[in-house]
Amino acid sequence: MHDLKSQLTIAAVAAILGLLVVVQLRGQAGGSALETKSAQNLTTLVASLNQENDRLRSEVSTLQNQLTELRTDRSNGATSVGQIQSDLGRIRAWAGLDPIAGKGIQITVSGAIDAAAVDDLLNELRNAGAEAVAVEDIRVVARTSINGVPGSLDIDGFLLRDPFTVRVIGTPEVLVGSLTRVGGIIAQLSATNPSATLDVKPIDVAMTLPASLRDLLPTHGRPRL
Amino acid sequence: MTALAARIRAIPSWQVTLGLALFALGFLVAAQLAAEGPRVRYTTQERTPLVETTLALQATQDGLKGQIVALRKSIQDIEQQGAGSAAEIKDLNTRLEQARIAAGLIPLTGTGIVLKLEDSTQPVPQDGNVVDYLANASDLRAVVDLLWQTGAEAIAINGERVTAATAIIDIGGSVLVNAAYLAGPYQIAAIGPKDLFARLSATPGWEEFVRTRRGSFGIGISWAEPDVVDVPAYAGSVTLRESRAVASPSAAATHDASVGSPTPPGSAP
Repeated sequence: MHDLKSQLTIAAVAAILGLLVVVQLRGQAGGSALETKSAQNLTTLVASLNQENDRLRSEVSTLQNQLTELRTDRSNGATSVGQIQSDLGRIRAWAGLDPIAGKGIQITVSGAIDAAAVDDLLNELRNAGAEAVAVEDIRVVARTSINGVPGSLDIDGFLLRDPFTVRVIGTPEVLVGSLTRVGGIIAQLSATNPSATLDVKPIDVAMTLPASLRDLLPTHGRPRL
Repeated sequence: MTALAARIRAIPSWQVTLGLALFALGFLVAAQLAAEGPRVRYTTQERTPLVETTLALQATQDGLKGQIVALRKSIQDIEQQGAGSAAEIKDLNTRLEQARIAAGLIPLTGTGIVLKLEDSTQPVPQDGNVVDYLANASDLRAVVDLLWQTGAEAIAINGERVTAATAIIDIGGSVLVNAAYLAGPYQIAAIGPKDLFARLSATPGWEEFVRTRRGSFGIGISWAEPDVVDVPAYAGSVTLRESRAVASPSAAATHDASVGSPTPPGSAP
């Protein structure tokens, strides 16, 4: 009887032990971080992933067409100089190596605003689908940084005056909607930088943003084959 | 001494087994509680399919990005073998290769550093905010910005290349980089000069970041300086939908009258 009781106790402890080991191991797995999200946050995440996947499908389709055309041209003995030039122009403009033109919006920022707020604004513009951004005459590229204190901010070493403008190329309605929605970045920045005013206006005619003045080629890295 | 040994030997084996099992049980309970960290767990029925959908969509996205990288490589290969004047093609391809490198469309390897940011393991105080104890998009942006300022030339976060189009955002406590869902810990790989970390750690911004995020909230911040740092290519869209390239460099400083004439920036002090 005594043996049976002790065996049952050990069995019960072993069962709990096993359960906890499984829970612990599953907790360490990749999806565990998502388990902590609310249904509302997960729904937003799903919407964002869906939207991006649609954009990527469109890019895949464009690239497949481009590849088919190149292969057809090549088999017909036709020149591909035009294709390469077109590719070159598009990539240079996208990267900020060349000027770029299109419709979009203009944001006039006046009053004291801190560097982090301008950085947040640029980040939100990228998230909203901006194709190109320039702060005054400085094209925003990957390495662009905003420094300084309110009243004497600089972008990539160039002083920003008060007021300064941010010109953005993209779909005007989408950009305006994204920035000015309730709880959007304009509302957030107005709360954290009460002395600053951000005026957003759509630009329905093509504007030209300059090329970056930066050398964007790496000197410490090389292409990985 | 002999009496103690005899007493130990007299303990029944089932008691020893039970003791060890209870010790392991206690250890696992403690580990589980620690793993919960500062995060909150929800228990609603609709969450499980949503988590599965999120993971499936992210897997689809990874697949699409793989296709994009492969297609770009095929296009590049054909363009390099293109017909036409050999000199002209060679020149165009050299410029195209450089443009792709500048745009982040080519994977790079070089010297640099790898930084790691992790959620805090500290318990959240009663009056504390859970979000402060998580490594978030704002932390990643702050570190990326400091790295650019100190000479980084290419950066990737958990394999997502940071480009001119990259947004790093929080959506309900999840970090999205290039609209890809990333789970922590976050590894920031940066290619730059060999003394990149020395430069970074010498900035007041880094000192403040470490003081506030690690010092006040226990965010895990660590770094390594491997011999070689790799950053992958950007696999997102580079299609111009609303804009067109302006080929002439002379157009760089021009503005359309309708946009007004912005004040030219002055030189930094």
